[in-house]
Amino acid sequence: MEHGMEQPGVHSLWGLEERLSSLLEPVTPDPEFVESLKMKLSHTPAVLIETGRRKLGLLVVGIGLFAGALTLWLLRRRSD
Amino acid sequence: MTKQKTLTVESLTDDNAVRLACTGNTEAFSYLYEQNVKRIYNYIYYRIGSGADAEDLTARVFHRAFAHINKYVEKGVPFTAWLYRIAHNLTANWYRDNNRRREVSLDDHFDLPHHGELPERTMEQNQEKELLLKAIRRLPADRQELILLKFLEDLSNGQIAVIMGRTEGAIKSLYHRSLISLREELKQISGIDNTSNY
Repeated sequence: MEHGMEQPGVHSLWGLEERLSSLLEPVTPDPEFVESLKMKLSHTPAVLIETGRRKLGLLVVGIGLFAGALTLWLLRRRSD
Repeated sequence: MTKQKTLTVESLTDDNAVRLACTGNTEAFSYLYEQNVKRIYNYIYYRIGSGADAEDLTARVFHRAFAHINKYVEKGVPFTAWLYRIAHNLTANWYRDNNRRREVSLDDHFDLPHHGELPERTMEQNQEKELLLKAIRRLPADRQELILLKFLEDLSNGQIAVIMGRTEGAIKSLYHRSLISLREELKQISGIDNTSNY
């Protein structure tokens, strides 16, 4: 592959910076996508739809506490 | 639309648009969207290399930002920096969910844009760019992010420090290490490609 990367300076960090500057150019997103997303956002009610993670977290903690208490109770009962 | 609201929307700036967007003003959010959509898309596109997935993730970034804009105010960082943080997290999730390897196959390629230049020159530049992007995507996520913010967005170390939640000194140091790593990756890829340009 004999192309621009062999231009002087690529071995040096300064040369690498030069190549990064010239090659990393912004791309333009599809205007249709940009416009349709804008429309979707402007018609989206500002309501956060949570996926129930909080409830799930509470349930896990609850189950953990219950299991712990049950284990303690069983152990005490056994030692009695 | 009331007269007051019209006047407000007409006089939107980056600062007051955020304040208004927090109150649920969709025009203000649209303004913020227009100011940032291209840079967020670019950031994601260069991180993952797929136009379709970049569109999907860009949409998710703005939906999430819209849903959580009140949380942004609490953190007190520039709005753009906050969007980049969301984009960074969603990109990381994307890699995790797709079970992608960080190391990119040489068969992977980017849909690179053309700029009306001579076909030979365009092809040459695209090959060169593809090689560079492969090398960038082999770097750890924070180094990829730093390089893209530096060269795509032309941001200063100070601005990048805010976005990445580090000190300016740490960014300077990471930048130097990132360039060295990138040079090594380029050498390695060139070796695989049977070229000796590095």
